[in-house]
Amino acid sequence: MKAVFIAYDQAHQENIAEVLDRLTIKGYTLFPQVMGAGSNTGDPHLGSHAWPTMNSAILTIVPEEKLEKLMERLHELDVNNEMLGLRAFVWNIEQQI
Amino acid sequence: MSIYEGAVRRPIMTSLVFTAVIIFGLFSLIKLPIDLYPDIETNTIMVFTYYNGASAEDIENNLTRPLENTLNSVEHIKHVTSNSKDGVSVVTLEFEYGYDIDVLTNNVRDKLDMVSNSLPNEANQPIIFKFSTDMIPILMLSVQAEESQKALYKILDDNVVNALARVDGVGTVSIIGAPEREINVYMDPVKMEAYNLSAAQVASAIAAENQNATNGTVDIGTLTYTVRTEGEFDDANEINNIVVASNGDGKVYVRDVARVVDDVQERSQQTYTNGRQGGLIIIQKQSGANSVAISQAVMERLPELRKNLPSDVSLNVMVNTSDNILNTIDSLVETISFAMLFVVIVVFVFLGRWRATVIICITIPMSLIASFIYLYATGGSLNMISLSCLSIAIGNVVDDAIVVLENVTTHIERGSDPKQAAIHGTNEVAISVIASTLTMIAVFFPLTMVSGMSGVLFKQLGWMMCIIMTISTSSALSFTPMLCSQMLKLQKKQSKLFKTIYRPVQKALDALDNLYERMINWAVRHRWIIIFACVLFFLASIYVMKLVGIKSEYFPTNDNGRVSCSIELPIGSRKEKAKEVADHLAYTWMKRYGKELKVCNFTVGQAGDNNTWASMQSNGSHIISFNLNYVPSNEREKGLVLICDELREDCKKIPEIAKFRVSLGGGNSNMGGQSMATFEIYGYDLTETMNVAETLSKKLAESPMVGQTSISRSDYVPELVINFDREKLAKANITMSAASAAVRNLINGSLMSFFREDGEEYDIKVRYEPDARKSVEDILDMLVPSQAGNIRVRDIATIEESAMPPTIERKDRQRITTVTAVLKDGYALSDGVEYGRSIYENMDIPAGITVQVAGSYEDQQDSNRDLGVLGMLIIILVFIVMAAQFESLTYPFIIMLSVPFAASGIILALCMTGTNLNIMSILGGIMLIGIVVKNGIVLIDYTQLLRERGYGLIRSSVAAARSRLRPILMTSLTTILGMVPMAVGHGVGAEMWRPLGVSVIGGLTVSTILTLIYVPSMFCIFGSNGIKNKRKKLRKQRELDAYWKEHQSEETFKHSKSSTKHEQEES
Repeated sequence: MKAVFIAYDQAHQENIAEVLDRLTIKGYTLFPQVMGAGSNTGDPHLGSHAWPTMNSAILTIVPEEKLEKLMERLHELDVNNEMLGLRAFVWNIEQQI
Repeated sequence: MSIYEGAVRRPIMTSLVFTAVIIFGLFSLIKLPIDLYPDIETNTIMVFTYYNGASAEDIENNLTRPLENTLNSVEHIKHVTSNSKDGVSVVTLEFEYGYDIDVLTNNVRDKLDMVSNSLPNEANQPIIFKFSTDMIPILMLSVQAEESQKALYKILDDNVVNALARVDGVGTVSIIGAPEREINVYMDPVKMEAYNLSAAQVASAIAAENQNATNGTVDIGTLTYTVRTEGEFDDANEINNIVVASNGDGKVYVRDVARVVDDVQERSQQTYTNGRQGGLIIIQKQSGANSVAISQAVMERLPELRKNLPSDVSLNVMVNTSDNILNTIDSLVETISFAMLFVVIVVFVFLGRWRATVIICITIPMSLIASFIYLYATGGSLNMISLSCLSIAIGNVVDDAIVVLENVTTHIERGSDPKQAAIHGTNEVAISVIASTLTMIAVFFPLTMVSGMSGVLFKQLGWMMCIIMTISTSSALSFTPMLCSQMLKLQKKQSKLFKTIYRPVQKALDALDNLYERMINWAVRHRWIIIFACVLFFLASIYVMKLVGIKSEYFPTNDNGRVSCSIELPIGSRKEKAKEVADHLAYTWMKRYGKELKVCNFTVGQAGDNNTWASMQSNGSHIISFNLNYVPSNEREKGLVLICDELREDCKKIPEIAKFRVSLGGGNSNMGGQSMATFEIYGYDLTETMNVAETLSKKLAESPMVGQTSISRSDYVPELVINFDREKLAKANITMSAASAAVRNLINGSLMSFFREDGEEYDIKVRYEPDARKSVEDILDMLVPSQAGNIRVRDIATIEESAMPPTIERKDRQRITTVTAVLKDGYALSDGVEYGRSIYENMDIPAGITVQVAGSYEDQQDSNRDLGVLGMLIIILVFIVMAAQFESLTYPFIIMLSVPFAASGIILALCMTGTNLNIMSILGGIMLIGIVVKNGIVLIDYTQLLRERGYGLIRSSVAAARSRLRPILMTSLTTILGMVPMAVGHGVGAEMWRPLGVSVIGGLTVSTILTLIYVPSMFCIFGSNGIKNKRKKLRKQRELDAYWKEHQSEETFKHSKSSTKHEQEES
């Protein structure tokens, strides 16, 4: 099992939901309004006067066989809409109940 | 879920809600009545008190004064004016606007109850009369007739008047110029004397014979019969055979002493239309009825009515007030359509997207149509104000939609899905959209609180604009995002046609961006030069105003194609003379204006006693009243003001004319008439005030700018006074009243009976032959019956010629005479007033007499003061809204500086076009406060945003300026181009709103250009000051910290020492 943390511009919400749906990833945790900024490129998403856009974030735990497909789809989304900004990070799940 | 998210997620609901709004709006539009102005509230109450036999001065002392003194204490009263004439006192109470007239009427009634005991016993009860604009006739029909002339009154009364009076909403229908039938019994004084008969005997004999009576009922067999005597004349000639007196076998018949003439009233008015004799039918509406609807209903009946008239009688429309209203409204509708077209073009050019343009096209009419619901709900009408308001609003309603649309497009271009882009894009700009609407509401809401004449205009405008703005904002936050989510998409491939059309535009706009960026780059590095230049520009515009001089007037003149002239020959001139003069004038005018003069109608002569319309007008044998009706203003070369000036010149040329008054617009409206300078002369002595008035009037008339002058006080009316000798009367055993009644019967005639025919009643008047009442001698020869036989007037009385005292006018409890000067075309009210003032200030005015300026100049000053206060209030409110939005006091200050530049723009535009400063241009100026600050807000907001993103001061100013150039140009151009049809329009009524258009265009153009240049510079000045201050503060802090570090032990010691000292003192 892998944990995938996806941080993305709010506007991606439906696309992400669709990706998860297609891959039959049922479980996830959604943070609808989060702020953040990228380390290298892209506009910050701070919901402020200067940077009015906001991010959302999803934390989902997926079986390893689905991971590659998921990352591929997410990368595709990001490449198609470079300006919006989308990042995904993966790490291991040690234990679960 | 926010409103925009809800709207985007539920497109069907959103579109149907707005469809419902449009349907309601269109439904209201159909139901809305059409009028020229919003309803003008009545603020005048008149109190009539009749006191038979009292002279003007008696009336003044015994009736008018006590009434004035009491009524003056009624609340909210503005002016009390009065007219004391022979036998009647008319007190007019003018109230402040905005109070319920019914409550005021009750207050007046209460006060009258208080005073009525102290009035003379012989005086009648005071009558309260509410004056309203409903009394202005809405339709005048002209009738021309040949052989039916004599029977015209009956023909019209039967066939036209009765039918029209039945039309819904029609109030009074009066006939003018068609004399009524009258049976005249003319007695021969010689024969009367020979038979020793008195006029009363003849009259009562006729009355006694002309009787029908019921004598009771009788039962005959099984039936009951009513017994009646029928003595009424079937034919006027029967009067001849009445026995007046008998002496045994000898009988004296009426025919022996008099001749019976079945003709028309002796004193009557004659009306001529386009040279042919006929009559006039005047139609007034019922209070509160809709003029346009009534006119239409009447016009529909006309063809049918014409069929019933004899072939020689033609019935035509002379004046139809609704024509002008409809024409005006039509040309406004045209203006609005053009404005909409311009706005759409601007939006397309700047956005460069078909779909976005379509969205704007859908949203504009929606906010406008929704405002009709408000009008319908509050009982308003489609009028010049409400429609101008739509025209003004077009440019503004697009702003909100554009802001939303732009941001949504940016999101889509960044790659968002349209739906998400619509929600988030709207969310980001919602606050600033609401804030900019609030600034507009801060401008327009105070307008709803204006009272007075200007309140009539501003109240509706204020409410309409507030409502349109609110609706446009709510639609921008719900309907527009919904449409964006449905219609917008990432344009991946443009069509070829679009590319060929749009590429040059795109290039031009880019070039403009670059040019502007370079300019700003220079400007922010030379800030002080820019600021200095701007201030210089402002001062220069003020200097231009001083140099060229802006003329001011109260209200623009409304060209409705109608002129009325009241021409007076010397008092006492006969009708025939008046007719001669009138014929000459009518011929001259019809020849000069040809086809442009649709109707040339004049009426001469004195009206009968029972004519409702004529009793409200002044009439007399020496008065000619003209009604001229020209083709609509856009079909004629000369303006109405110019025409009026020409008419006045013609009147001046005729030596027989003693006085004339040419009134533009039919002279029945205090809005939109010609500029008139009014001077009030207060003083008790009638001769002295008259002298002052005459001198002032003469000197005013000498000025080239004055077309006509008039003095309110009428001339002394010549009269013959019969002074009966009481001694001689007593000797002959005649009372004074009997003697005077006898003379009255001989001259005016006694009316004791009526001739009935076909259900109509006609007067039978018995009096002397016209030839027997032509001179003072004739009157002296008249016979007064007494117990001892007839006595001649000369035996018991003397006759002297004198003049009847004029009407005594008073205002605010002082005697007054007003001199009015109508100014020629091209001269403004302020000029006339200044000129008049210079005359009376150099005049040798006797003690106790004061002269002052009043009338529309007073109104103008009042409303200017009101508007000045309003302007301040608006500026403060707008400042508050902006300060709240920016959470700063500096930025609103910078933005507010664009208001003076708007003022410079207005000044320059007015000077360049030669437009007068009037209430409409001031209104434009007030609106500009809201519009011009918007540009500043957009600019400052974005510069601030870039600063927050970490840009440097100069870089953020330049970048923001470049990026906001297009939105600012777009919103300003939509407003400016939306106003162009108003400013250059030539339709009917265009002269009314031209000043508004001119001032908005001038003000907005100048302030937009200057805002684009000075705001970045100002921002840099304040920004660099801010940075300097911050640095200074930091430096000080640093120094303090360093000091603290170094001297910490010392400072602590000092501190503790002082505190111990303090403690010691306390203990």
